[in-house]
Amino acid sequence: MNDLTKIRIPRAINWNRLEDDKDLEVWNRLTVNFWLPEKVPLSNDIPSWNTLTDEEQLLTIRVFTGLTLLDTIQNTVGAPSLMPDAITPHEEAVLTNISFMEAVHARSYSSIFSTLCATKDIDEAFRWSEENPHLQAKAEAILRTYAPGNDPLKRKIASVFLESFLFYSGFYLPMFWSSRAKLTNTADLIRLIIRDEAVHGYYIGYKFQRGYEKLPEEEQLALKDYAFSLLFELYEIESQYTEELYDSIGLTEDVKIFLHYNANKALQNLGFEALFPPEVSEVNPAILAALSPDSENHDFFSGSGSSYVIGKAVATEDEDWDF
Amino acid sequence: MLDSTVNELDYHALNAMLNLYDADGQIRFDADRMAARQYFLQHVNQNTVFFHSLDEKLNYLVSEGYYEEAVLDQYSKNFMRQIWDVAYARKFRFPTFLGAFKYYTSYTLKTRDGQRYLERYEDRVVMTALTLARGEEALAMSFMDEMLSGRFQPATPTFLNAGKASRGELISCFLLRLEDNMESIGRGINSALQLSKRGGGVALLLTNIREHGAPIKGIENQSSGVIPVMKLLEDSFSYANQLGARQGAGAVYLNAHHPDIMQFLDTKRENADEKIRIKTLSLGVVIPDITFELAKKNADMYLFSPHDVEKVYGVPFSELSITDNYAEMVDDKRIRKSKVNAREFFQTVAEIQFESGYPYVMFEDTVNRANPIDGRINMSNLCSEILQVNEASTFNDDLSYEHLGTDISCNLGSLNIAKAMDNRDLGQTVTAAIRALTAVSEMSAIDSVPSVRRGNDESRAIGLGQMNLHGFLAREHIHYDSAEAVEFTSVYFAAVAYHAIRTSCDLARENKVTFKDFEKSEYASGAFFEKYTNRDWLPQSDKVKSLFEGMDLPSQDNWASLKADVMQHGLYNRNLQAVPPTGSISYINNSTSSIHPIVSRIEIRKEGKIGRVYYPAAFMANDNLEYYRDAYEIGPEALIDVYAAATEHVDQGLSLTLFFPSDATTRDINRAQIYAWKKGIKTIYYVRLRQEVLEGTEVEGCVSCAL
Repeated sequence: MNDLTKIRIPRAINWNRLEDDKDLEVWNRLTVNFWLPEKVPLSNDIPSWNTLTDEEQLLTIRVFTGLTLLDTIQNTVGAPSLMPDAITPHEEAVLTNISFMEAVHARSYSSIFSTLCATKDIDEAFRWSEENPHLQAKAEAILRTYAPGNDPLKRKIASVFLESFLFYSGFYLPMFWSSRAKLTNTADLIRLIIRDEAVHGYYIGYKFQRGYEKLPEEEQLALKDYAFSLLFELYEIESQYTEELYDSIGLTEDVKIFLHYNANKALQNLGFEALFPPEVSEVNPAILAALSPDSENHDFFSGSGSSYVIGKAVATEDEDWDF
Repeated sequence: MLDSTVNELDYHALNAMLNLYDADGQIRFDADRMAARQYFLQHVNQNTVFFHSLDEKLNYLVSEGYYEEAVLDQYSKNFMRQIWDVAYARKFRFPTFLGAFKYYTSYTLKTRDGQRYLERYEDRVVMTALTLARGEEALAMSFMDEMLSGRFQPATPTFLNAGKASRGELISCFLLRLEDNMESIGRGINSALQLSKRGGGVALLLTNIREHGAPIKGIENQSSGVIPVMKLLEDSFSYANQLGARQGAGAVYLNAHHPDIMQFLDTKRENADEKIRIKTLSLGVVIPDITFELAKKNADMYLFSPHDVEKVYGVPFSELSITDNYAEMVDDKRIRKSKVNAREFFQTVAEIQFESGYPYVMFEDTVNRANPIDGRINMSNLCSEILQVNEASTFNDDLSYEHLGTDISCNLGSLNIAKAMDNRDLGQTVTAAIRALTAVSEMSAIDSVPSVRRGNDESRAIGLGQMNLHGFLAREHIHYDSAEAVEFTSVYFAAVAYHAIRTSCDLARENKVTFKDFEKSEYASGAFFEKYTNRDWLPQSDKVKSLFEGMDLPSQDNWASLKADVMQHGLYNRNLQAVPPTGSISYINNSTSSIHPIVSRIEIRKEGKIGRVYYPAAFMANDNLEYYRDAYEIGPEALIDVYAAATEHVDQGLSLTLFFPSDATTRDINRAQIYAWKKGIKTIYYVRLRQEVLEGTEVEGCVSCAL
């Protein structure tokens, strides 16, 4: 146990003395990507929302409450629990940003709810999320790893699985809707979240690999075993969760393929080889292509797009005004 | 391999394969063609109402109230059979999935429950031709030919609505003035609602409205300024959607020297307070030359109270050239003023453009120098290509007109440059296009907004645009950022201007009438024609000469005799050309948008109604990809050079978007704006940014991610 009476005074962070250039690169990326849900005109989706059947609406609300729970975990427990393990002070700063953006994500789902649904339905869905055994099992498995005193690298593994794998059973649905021209503004917002989570998973995975490299071989093997067994456990839960949610509209098989694809991605972020062979991880092109957030040519009058960022302000000089 | 997967994949999935390279790193154009085919097999054919004969079909559509009977009554049965036969014999096919999908989702006539299709593409073309030709058989045939061959494509409101019994207006775009009083603002909001309901985009001028804190009836600190008016407008446009088809869309323009300018810009900030945040309303800033001069000197720019200016000069703020009157206004004690640093103003514009793509920019003095018409241009429209003069209205207490001014409307249509060039007869195509656009103006009477009606009646303003420039250049193995591209653009646009003016002069002669105040214009004085009678606008390089080989291009002599004709007979249309951004219609027409470079080899198109769909650039194949460098790679200068060459010959404006990578700075945007202004560009539409995907987080094999 740490001696709680001993106060640890942090070093003042000097961004001009980088120990790892990746910290600054990711910091810059995350800060220009800053956004708030108010940016997206969600209310444009109300007519589209009303074309969904009751069953489809229920599914959508539940999917989003599931995502809210994951973002809440990552905001309040996940990212903060990684901070004490940070190798560089800059890594800690990046993690605070990650933690905050997870709060923004959790907040965003509530924006979607309050725009599209009645309070009664929202409350019902939150109750469902508290009672759903698969969702709770998922949360439990991750939180167990995050517990104080646990191996820092194991925490990173869990964190990457959460960022790069567990979210995607939920992300599938808005991507599916948008490929069918439904809830396209909601999909924009989710794409902003995906844009963030992709960087988070990548960065935490990168930091994992830096720690992993330094371990002796037998510890590496043990850790890799741990990663795969945790993934198996999560995959088992995730399969059941997917079946329960998506059987009603017949998309379960497609979602599972998407899970395979993202499980492979998560392992890739950790520097491990793929688990699922290509033939069971060929995602429907409509969903895969929908994941790329960049350079879409949207119609400005019906949406805001996900490609705008906060710019770098640089004053003009006399030579610029030479006319 | 593809064939075996076709049966399992639906058309959306096939279309999405365009954005994913195949195993050999090739773009899968065949998947998109198959998507178009599957779309017909799986969806369109099964959901189209079948008729045994044309007669049966037309009888049904008229008796059920789908088609306007009056349109068909103008023609004989025999002629109708003939025009439909000719149209169907062309065997039209959509070359891309998005073209077909967009047409059937947004344009074609459907049963009232929206479930089944009543028209094919040929039917829509023929109905548009019959509507616009108003009973003249030869004209109907020529309109049909120009449209079905893809050379001329009317803008969405015309192509969507023509010939339908329950429909919106045929006109695209409206521009309204607001004056500094409650009656004008109230009437303006009402007009915005009325025009949105009928399917138009509306822009409003805020320059004349007094600023926040200005006195009302002599009592200080009473006025709320322009922001609350913007809020009212934003909500109005959200309310008035066109039968649920799409949300009303609006823009507001404000002069850079209006005291509320900085707050106006801040409404688009990412962290703006909800009370002042503007989400869906588009913003435009009117910038005079003096602002650039002040920035050059790194001086402050004064902002002037419109209320005081109007009291001192006796005319609204927007009627005055800020550049000409700047020094005088600065020294006039009666005008209250504030100031900001001019460079900071430009930097703020660029910051907001980074965050939101807005504001549009109109270079006020450039626009007015190039305007051949008597009067002042003080605003533009939702797509920044309409530039016309207007006149203020005044109101009685009951909101009736004390003086009926003029407001602006414009109907648009675009030529497909590649198709028009292939036909080798620009004169024929431009003539048909100008006549079709003029018909729309003549057939429109917007009674709900009398100032717009008066403006249209007196001006018959139209806007002929162009699209598929990049597609054409690439097909001819010319890079967009090359001297040949600039040269071609200049020659082509000069020829289009010639034929447009010639046709409008013919129309004036036939109808024995000119647009109002023709005699005060530079067309009447002949001054307009100087640049064409003093020099040639003909191709110089061998490459560009070969593109025009065998085509008639106007010589100095042709221009001189046209000048004489115009001075004698006048012009029928006050405005002739405007180059719009062409979203939807360029997909249907298999074109690259407007005269822009492509935004991406495979464009990801997202709209409320169609979702996310993938679109390949026109004429692109795996062996000519080098000519399809996109707008972000080409950079702003080459794009501005091409636009400057076209601007020279376009009486109104051109929607010009600037493209930057997201690691650009506000300084890069400012430099591009300065360059555009120096080169005589009239307006800037959006600023677009592309963020490169962080290495390690990209979607594997994605075409639009790879650079």
